[in-house]
Amino acid sequence: MQIAVSGGKGGTGKSTVAVNLAIALRGYFDLALADLDVEAPNDHILLGVELQNEEPVNMFMPRFNYSKCIKCRKCAEVCEENAIITMKDGTPFLMPTLCSGCRACEIVCPVTGAILEGQKLIGHTYITETPYEFSLVTGKLLEGEERAMPIVTAAKRRARSLNKELLLVDTAAGTSNTVSKALEDSKLLIAVTEPTPLGLHDLALILELARLMNIEAWVVINRSDLGEKEGIEKIAQKYNAEIVAEIPYSEAIIRSYVKGEPIVLADSKEAEIFKDLAEKIANYMG
Amino acid sequence: MQIAIASGKGGVGKSSVAASLIYLLKDGYSLIAVDADADAPNLHLLFGVERWEEKREIIGAKIAKINSETCIKCGICAERCPYDCIKLVDGVYKVNELTCEGCGVCKLVCPVEGVITLEEVRSGIIQKTTTKYGFPLISAQLDVGRPNSGKLVTEEKEWAKRIMKEEGIEHMIVDSAAGIGCQVIASLGGADVAILVAEPTPASLSDVKRVYKVVQHFREPAYLIINKADLNPEFKGLYEFAEEEGIPIIGEIPYDRAVPKSMAMLKPVVEAFPESKASKALREIAEVVKEQILR
Ligand code: SF4
Ligand code: SF4
Ligand code: SF4
Ligand code: SF4
Repeated sequence: MQIAVSGGKGGTGKSTVAVNLAIALRGYFDLALADLDVEAPNDHILLGVELQNEEPVNMFMPRFNYSKCIKCRKCAEVCEENAIITMKDGTPFLMPTLCSGCRACEIVCPVTGAILEGQKLIGHTYITETPYEFSLVTGKLLEGEERAMPIVTAAKRRARSLNKELLLVDTAAGTSNTVSKALEDSKLLIAVTEPTPLGLHDLALILELARLMNIEAWVVINRSDLGEKEGIEKIAQKYNAEIVAEIPYSEAIIRSYVKGEPIVLADSKEAEIFKDLAEKIANYMG
Repeated sequence: MQIAIASGKGGVGKSSVAASLIYLLKDGYSLIAVDADADAPNLHLLFGVERWEEKREIIGAKIAKINSETCIKCGICAERCPYDCIKLVDGVYKVNELTCEGCGVCKLVCPVEGVITLEEVRSGIIQKTTTKYGFPLISAQLDVGRPNSGKLVTEEKEWAKRIMKEEGIEHMIVDSAAGIGCQVIASLGGADVAILVAEPTPASLSDVKRVYKVVQHFREPAYLIINKADLNPEFKGLYEFAEEEGIPIIGEIPYDRAVPKSMAMLKPVVEAFPESKASKALREIAEVVKEQILR
């Protein structure tokens, strides 16, 4: 089973919710948390742990063996990224920054051995044991690399291989296809938002994505005392998404965030909110 | 001059800092603002934009489609899709259009001619308006579930450059997306200067370090603004990072509830609460930007 925590914009408290929920849910499920915000993975920082068990994510890149290449240009024609340019006589050259590693060029090349296997490191995945009885899987894109999708795919595969009863996924911000990839196969989406016009705009988008993907969505309002909640209520209603929790603006949460000590472990009213939410999720997931 | 404002991490207040700086610079300088966060654009909200003068659709994303009538269900496409986007659903092979990258590998490996087609779809829109403050703003919105947001940003910047030429505008200020992916690379590419915004938390430090590596890749000079600077007085990480890398800190903005309040009012804080602590700090930063960056 899988559930996802997402939210339109960054900074709405998505990772805080994910991390605290993971801790609160460990009493109900044998679980793993997957941080799939590969451009800015932070769950390990919030949990106060160092990333472990690094595995490289290598991307395929064609290398041309010019002694075999017959200059037919097929590789350049098929490349959707226009990463291969050809000289006047048909000699292909790769522009590495454009290549997505999809192997289409290798597949169409009619000469065995004209395209060789080249590799480029684009990021890493990690499995980190936390002090909280669950493992954290993290995907991390290398700086300067553009392609988040292969890292999300690799991290998700690695998380699945742990075969846990429950996989809790923390996605990136926004609604691009890497977010859909992270959400895929979730039974439930927890959308974290703020009661501000910005939060509203982004909540509508993420709920739309959940609808398109047929995923049940619940809404958590963070910093709920900050603004007008009516807008959020309207959008939630439109998408049939229940508002399941409200977290008031809290200095205690900010402090716990800064220190890397999850708030759910403290004896506080904020902790109760996460515990109640965990119970509700456990009941729903059955 | 092209200035890109970036943070690596979302939620550190980058856009509200950007909106305030743009507001403070608009009078003495001719500028155009570009919101390059196509996933979650918000500058238009902060500038109270109510309508767009011009919209353009950006077609460019491709999506694979399987014709289930002629598919022989061999499953080769599902096996070979690099991103696991093809699944057997209720007995038919289906492409998840919300995750497909449009690479075309499935089409190439499919043994039956014509079963899989690649279709061009809209990746999103870019739009332009003149704000009530007089300067033009270009913004983008990526369609839900689409790849290739870097392309939207590149198109936005091209459009901005044309407007700059036509209208004799001197400066472009780009509010880049969070993260370090294709949108951010497109935002930083071609910029003359990067202004980084971070808050004193370990997570923000980790992310701003990552975006700084991208900045270094482009060999652009960088400056740092510390937002919510008094949030965590024991945390010295940002100062150490700036010192080690030789990045000038051009300002520290204290945590101030006037900022979220102003955002709810859809105004830059320097306009909504000019006497607030945050606004004072932002005005000082604007002066530094004028003296050291725009000159
Ligand atoms: S691997 Fe894909 S993106 Fe890279 S050059 Fe080959 S066809 Fe183009
Ligand atoms: S498809 Fe193969 S043989 Fe043809 S130009 Fe490309 S590398 Fe050379
Ligand atoms: S186009 Fe590429 S990403 Fe899309 S389904 Fe086909 S193989 Fe997968
Ligand atoms: S490879 Fe072609 S024929 Fe085989 S399952 Fe996929 S679409 Fe159908």
